[in-house]
Amino acid sequence: MQDKRYWSPYIAGAVLGATLLATFYIAGRGLGASGALTLVTAKGTFTIIPEFIGRLKYFAQYTTPRALINWNLFLLIGVFLGSLASAKFTGNFKVLLDRGKSMTVRTRLLSSLTGGMLIGFASRLARGCTSGVALSGSAQLALGGWIFVISMFAAGFILSAVLRRLWS
Amino acid sequence: MTGPFEVSQAVSLGLAVVFGLFFGLSLERGGLGNPHKLTGVFYLRDFTVPKVMFTGIVVACVGLYLLSDLHLLDMERVFIIPTFFWPQLAGGALFGVGFFISGYCPGTAVVGMASGRLDALLTLVGVGAGSLLFAVLFPYLEGFYLSSDMGAATLPPLAGVNHWVIIVPLVALAGGMFFAMEKYEKKESAR
Repeated sequence: MQDKRYWSPYIAGAVLGATLLATFYIAGRGLGASGALTLVTAKGTFTIIPEFIGRLKYFAQYTTPRALINWNLFLLIGVFLGSLASAKFTGNFKVLLDRGKSMTVRTRLLSSLTGGMLIGFASRLARGCTSGVALSGSAQLALGGWIFVISMFAAGFILSAVLRRLWS
Repeated sequence: MTGPFEVSQAVSLGLAVVFGLFFGLSLERGGLGNPHKLTGVFYLRDFTVPKVMFTGIVVACVGLYLLSDLHLLDMERVFIIPTFFWPQLAGGALFGVGFFISGYCPGTAVVGMASGRLDALLTLVGVGAGSLLFAVLFPYLEGFYLSSDMGAATLPPLAGVNHWVIIVPLVALAGGMFFAMEKYEKKESAR
């Protein structure tokens, strides 16, 4: 059952794999997403409340004057532009609050925020997310990548059994 | 020519944008900006996530080790994702919980936002808040965060075997998994 709005997942996966291989070969590093989001958060909050943010040891690496000249940030800008162009050209762009069939608007606002907080926190603890650790790490056969992938799917499956109704 | 390549900062950042364009394109075209498809795997309803993800892993993995074997790539100069066993096990589990609840991961939330989804934008606000929370709590977490440091540990040396002894069964396993998923989806849609 091929979803007509999208490509075959194997074609999309092959383009993803080829892109990852190109970054390994040319840049000597993998893909990533959460690091740039942390950088933007640290820089942004540092501009608003410098005294408080300046005291946070973990954010020190992100608040230096030239911190925004960052490979991962430029990569993420590309991700945004690439997916925006893709959604626009294929007629998939639509402004909406996407939610599960039985989800109220209030539940969706809360689930987006709390779920987002969890993945933001977890990404820092694991030193990366699905892109940086799970995808790039696993492709390198890095132990950490496989630990993350297995742990993530296991937790997701266990929780989905408990919160059956959320996305059904 | 042996990669990776030394280039100026401007070229490096320009290339990063290009890599990002293709990364974003593959995620959006794979349907990974859509939270229904992203969570479908947990209901055994839509296997898009494992299909895209493991195809990507297998293609990049085979290519990476092949280029290295052919001496076209100096693996010593590729940044290997470091392993911190317990933080990544705990982080992965917590991530899985957040992934199911929000319906996104950080990269796919950017794709979701780029396709007009306001819930994805809100998820990104949450990701920022979660990072900030981590930074605030870091003094209490630092010990755990730095624990079980295994460095650039990869499976072949850990198992004491040649990398193809891991890669060939991995490709076969992915193929078998895809076959089973296709059969299952066909059976479900026929019901």
